[in-house]
Amino acid sequence: MKNSAKNLAYFLGSMAILIGLWELISIITKAEIPSPLSTWTVFKELMTEPFYDRGPNDKGIGNNLLSSIGRVFTGFALGSIVAIPMGMLMGSTKIGMKLLNPIVQILKPVSPLAWFPLGLLAFKDSGGATIFIIAITSLWPTVINTAFGVSSIPQDHKNVGKAFGFSTWKYLTKIVIPYALPHIFTGLRLSIGIAWVVIVAGEMLSGGVGIGFFVWDSWNGLSLEKILVAILIIGGVGLILDKGFNALQNAFSWEGK
Amino acid sequence: MTTENSVKFVDSANDFHKINSIETAVDIKDVTVSFKGSKGTFTAIKDINLEIKKGEIVALIGHSGCGKSTLMNTISGMVAPSQGEVIANGSVVKGPGPDRGIVFQNYSLLPWLTVYKNIYEAVDSVFKDKTSVEKHELVEENLKMVNLIQHKDKLPGQLSGGMKQRVAIARAFAINPKILLLDEPFGALDALTKSSMHIELLKLWNLDNRNKTIVMVTHDVEEAIFLSDKVVVMNNGPAATIKKIVDVNLPRPRNKKDITHDPEYIRIHDELLTLLFDKFSIED
Ligand SMILES: Nc1ncnc2c1ncn2[C@@H]1O[C@H](COP(=O)(O)OP(=O)(O)OP(=O)(O)O)[C@@H](O)[C@H]1O
Ligand SMILES: [Mg+2]
Repeated sequence: MKNSAKNLAYFLGSMAILIGLWELISIITKAEIPSPLSTWTVFKELMTEPFYDRGPNDKGIGNNLLSSIGRVFTGFALGSIVAIPMGMLMGSTKIGMKLLNPIVQILKPVSPLAWFPLGLLAFKDSGGATIFIIAITSLWPTVINTAFGVSSIPQDHKNVGKAFGFSTWKYLTKIVIPYALPHIFTGLRLSIGIAWVVIVAGEMLSGGVGIGFFVWDSWNGLSLEKILVAILIIGGVGLILDKGFNALQNAFSWEGK
Repeated sequence: MTTENSVKFVDSANDFHKINSIETAVDIKDVTVSFKGSKGTFTAIKDINLEIKKGEIVALIGHSGCGKSTLMNTISGMVAPSQGEVIANGSVVKGPGPDRGIVFQNYSLLPWLTVYKNIYEAVDSVFKDKTSVEKHELVEENLKMVNLIQHKDKLPGQLSGGMKQRVAIARAFAINPKILLLDEPFGALDALTKSSMHIELLKLWNLDNRNKTIVMVTHDVEEAIFLSDKVVVMNNGPAATIKKIVDVNLPRPRNKKDITHDPEYIRIHDELLTLLFDKFSIED
């Protein structure tokens, strides 16, 4: 109780520093960078009707945000469906590791923007292309962490499966997955973070709808306040996603119980 | 494990004596185990020959690192001999099997499963055609035997070393193997719990008409004599061999308190200590 009050105080202090610096920059740039207060006014305006829909390219910030979150989770889910089995394959067999690891190493550092044209080509649709780049750039941490988790199962645990003749299914569900789960969740948490970073870039290219598009559209409409609102919302959602996955990670971890 | 038993320290009322069987349960033939490492091969045990009759209780003793666990693991099938072969229950050991129940030296419980589940998964894996009610009863029965029924929903991390050891024992017993392989099964227990576990072990063995073969590794000379028919003393490694096999011809049931005054017991105790500690004698 006392601790959480302390943490809250620190958090508020940290926000105060951020807002203070922001105000300072705004003053130095003679309000070319909007001040926190004018941004707040625009924020309130945007929040009076966050879900309006006046046809393509003109939707409320809430609509844009939900559309982005939807894409992020779709891309992330598709990526994870590939990443977890791939990581398990790499972690459980030497051959799997030797064959797949070079592919991971080569594809991992590729920028999401470089994938975008390929996505467009494959899906003939910018929405599909955005989901594709999220999937392909966010899956690597999950692959690597899953592989690490599976490959580090202690001999003692493996021996239990051997000694009592566990079937492959039982071995997988009672030994491999429970042991690797905390590692898998670490990977997923890093992956969703990447996915959320990538979405903004992706939507700036794809246009139409989404928080990334909203930023781009606000730039074209010369509303820096709107851009700042979007930045804060992007940061806030990113924080919530991270905390959510952290909670999941703790819930599924047997360590320290 | 009732208080009555732990007070009396007698294994059972069943007082007939011994190895009426001529069947061989385990036959270790010229077994050598070498481990390949980065610095070449390391031979842990060399040219081991040992025959264990059905229904015998055999103790393996020797200094730490001499290869007791390694020898035991060739019977369980967890370690493959580099040379020679092991025959258990009539067939060559190719790997672990449910006819041989193992209590590992480090318990090897799965930390994410409760005490109950740790045993249940082993039972479920071995007895595929039992109903879930039967499996449940089997688990509960064995948990009661090791006196852990009230802790069945705890995770291994919440147990003491001795409790973990008892879960591992219950798990090995639950699959009802013909051969029980116990690697320092009572090492982490206090003297009183240890005595009760000895009684439980012998009770189980008696209930089964002394048909179960038990091989155990121990550092406790008294325990080895009290429980076994044979004590196998190993040389120090590397390339450890069997130094001597000492027969324990003490009548059963044995009474823990009285047995220590038996001249035969005293003689065996002396012999084992001499075998274990000869190089530390004063003449050196
Ligand atoms: N998997 C392995 N790889 C390499 N060396 C091993 C392996 N297992 C055991 N050894 C070596 O073999 C020797 C015998 O080990 P073992 O575990 O059988 O000894 P032990 O008699 O059971 O000892 P303790 O009483 O301490 O349990 C040791 O020197 C050990 O380092
Ligand atoms: Mg050992």
